[in-house]
Amino acid sequence: MLKKVAPWLALLLILSLLAACSQGKGKSGASSDANGEVKLTFFNTSAEVNSVFEKLFETYHEQNPKVTIELIPTPIGGAQLEKFQSLLASNNPPTISNLDPGTILQYKDKFLDLDSEKSKYEGLTKAGAVENALLDGKFLGIPWTAQGYGLLYNKRAVEEAIGGTFDPASIKTRDDLEALFQKIQAAGKAPVMLHGADWSLGAHYLGLTYSLQSKDVDTNLKFVKGLEDGTQSLANNAAFNGLMDTFDVLKKYNARSKDPLTADYNKDSSDFAKGNAAFYFMGDWTWAVIGSLQGRDQDFGVIPVPISNNPADYGNTQIAYSEPKLLAIDNSGSSPAQQEAAKKFIEWLVTSDQGQKAIVSDMGLALPYKDVKVKSTNVISNAVNEYVDQEKTINIGVINYLPQDYWAKTGASMQKYLANVIDRQGLIDEVQAYWKSQAGK
Amino acid sequence: MTRKQWMRNTGIFLLFGGPSVIAFMAVVVIPFVVGLYLTFTNWDVNTGDSSLVGLANYKQVWLDTVFWQQLWFTLRYVFCTVVLANVAAFFIALALTGGRRGEQWLRTGFFTPNLIGGIVLGYLWQTLFSQVLPYLGEKYGWSLFATSWLTDTDKAFWALVIVTAWQLIGYLMIIYIAGFAGVPGDILEAANMDGASRMAIIRKIMLPLTVPAIVICIFVSLSRSFLTYDINLALTKGGPFNSTELATYHIVQKAFLSNEYGVGQAEAVVLFAVVAIVALTQSYLLKRLEVES
Repeated sequence: MLKKVAPWLALLLILSLLAACSQGKGKSGASSDANGEVKLTFFNTSAEVNSVFEKLFETYHEQNPKVTIELIPTPIGGAQLEKFQSLLASNNPPTISNLDPGTILQYKDKFLDLDSEKSKYEGLTKAGAVENALLDGKFLGIPWTAQGYGLLYNKRAVEEAIGGTFDPASIKTRDDLEALFQKIQAAGKAPVMLHGADWSLGAHYLGLTYSLQSKDVDTNLKFVKGLEDGTQSLANNAAFNGLMDTFDVLKKYNARSKDPLTADYNKDSSDFAKGNAAFYFMGDWTWAVIGSLQGRDQDFGVIPVPISNNPADYGNTQIAYSEPKLLAIDNSGSSPAQQEAAKKFIEWLVTSDQGQKAIVSDMGLALPYKDVKVKSTNVISNAVNEYVDQEKTINIGVINYLPQDYWAKTGASMQKYLANVIDRQGLIDEVQAYWKSQAGK
Repeated sequence: MTRKQWMRNTGIFLLFGGPSVIAFMAVVVIPFVVGLYLTFTNWDVNTGDSSLVGLANYKQVWLDTVFWQQLWFTLRYVFCTVVLANVAAFFIALALTGGRRGEQWLRTGFFTPNLIGGIVLGYLWQTLFSQVLPYLGEKYGWSLFATSWLTDTDKAFWALVIVTAWQLIGYLMIIYIAGFAGVPGDILEAANMDGASRMAIIRKIMLPLTVPAIVICIFVSLSRSFLTYDINLALTKGGPFNSTELATYHIVQKAFLSNEYGVGQAEAVVLFAVVAIVALTQSYLLKRLEVES
């Protein structure tokens, strides 16, 4: 009996296996139906705040029962782009995507042009927030978070070392900075913490070279194109040499000078927060580590990285500021009803009390909007905001147009320079060789 | 053979072999063939363009000097890992087959690293190399550990080798123990009676009779260390300054960070060819050393 049945059983098993494999194909995760119910998907690359978003989606669903939003989470620091690419490749794009501007630019044809919303958001956001979010002149992503970076300082550590109150505005030039570092070192404290990871050195530090060429993103982009075709060089570029001269100072007074590439982010951040180093080249995002630390100091601030000895030079009184993530709406497989619902949700997210509270206090991020009722506990981002309100910021928008691997490749060269494996000329050669290899891509 | 019998045989084969054949097709053969096809196209998610470009990707691979450097680095890494892991596993297995008290516990202990995922293992050793050892080095003045091993190009190489070998040793040890168990007791007894020394027994009897285990162990350690990715990612992230990028790491970066899918996939095919040639050559050569007891 069994012998007769066996082949058919086997066939059945195989078919069921095949069926299991092909499940999910053909039906899209997000859809809308006749009675006005809309289902949206939300692709999130800010993985550390997945759970906050999930709670927000529930709240929104309670207020708008017809709209259901499903989170597509990504792991922290891994395989985020791979996942997004596979969703696009399988024609199953997420309705709303929270992405780096560079990624949105790369897939710009897949996203909805939000030109009709532009003037509304210009009214809602702080000056320049929408303009900085433009990609190729188009409004494709709505800003919802902002970050700034520079030389963070630990107020107690600096003031103990200099024996008086510290006025951040007194540091206007490289020499001012070096004189301060000397004082701090003489008091027996490490003057500055330089985090040795490629993203910090390549994207944040060396990346300033491209942003400091001018205040205009297009001019800066032309400079990068000039590096690619060899018509520009770094050797006689004022911004680059100024930055690197300051880097030499930071390197000399680096708390990690003994083993500069260890780059333990948590340890570097907490050592700074506890006053083991007076300054730290980092941004307000490091509050995620510092904020919940036991036995840390209370007062922190930020000053620009001085790049010359002329206080009036661009960059000496401005700090780097950007919108690292934008919310984009899909235009390659979503229905108009879904797109409308997505627009409404994003507006709710950045203007409603619940949305603002979630972003500012639960996620600890800065919201670049005018009318924010919630006060942030992030001391560093509040310090950054003072620069933003005075419009003393460097527009680092040019990095959105750079190739996705620039920070890893040029960051490695910066690491070599930091570890004294290559000299200034060697660094120039390697960085220029990278840009030449990008020509025509 | 009658038709009915043929039907029955096919049916029985499908019943037992079918599911695994399908699983093998779905996760190995089909992706491999599609992957091979991809290397002849300029496929890109963004443009959706996938026109055939012939051997252009392979030409790019040929011109990618960094890839050949990393491949050479990988070969050195594999060689050191395989030697270290196998020698250590062989002697640990030998020490743990004497029938002493508490052997099972030691075996379990040595096997445990194999049960820890590469990422966890990588972070564990990263803390050890960059925090614990420099701390001890400073305290006791050991210059070898004064700075983190992971920030020096040569020491980072050895850090990778040591961690991979540490993970592999437990697994190889089990295979060696099984191999030793297969050595007939009467031969060992006879050798003992004839007054053979411990070394002579190992060299003249144990080694030749455990060649099948050695072949398996070298094959396993070869293929596993060639395809190491997780430990590389968690331990050194390719650093300092990309000097410890294994071939697999370079391929992933090429495809997903630099967005050159075709070239990355072509490099993966080259890596496959290298692994296949090395693994097959070694098992062919070592198999000839096998003897009957």
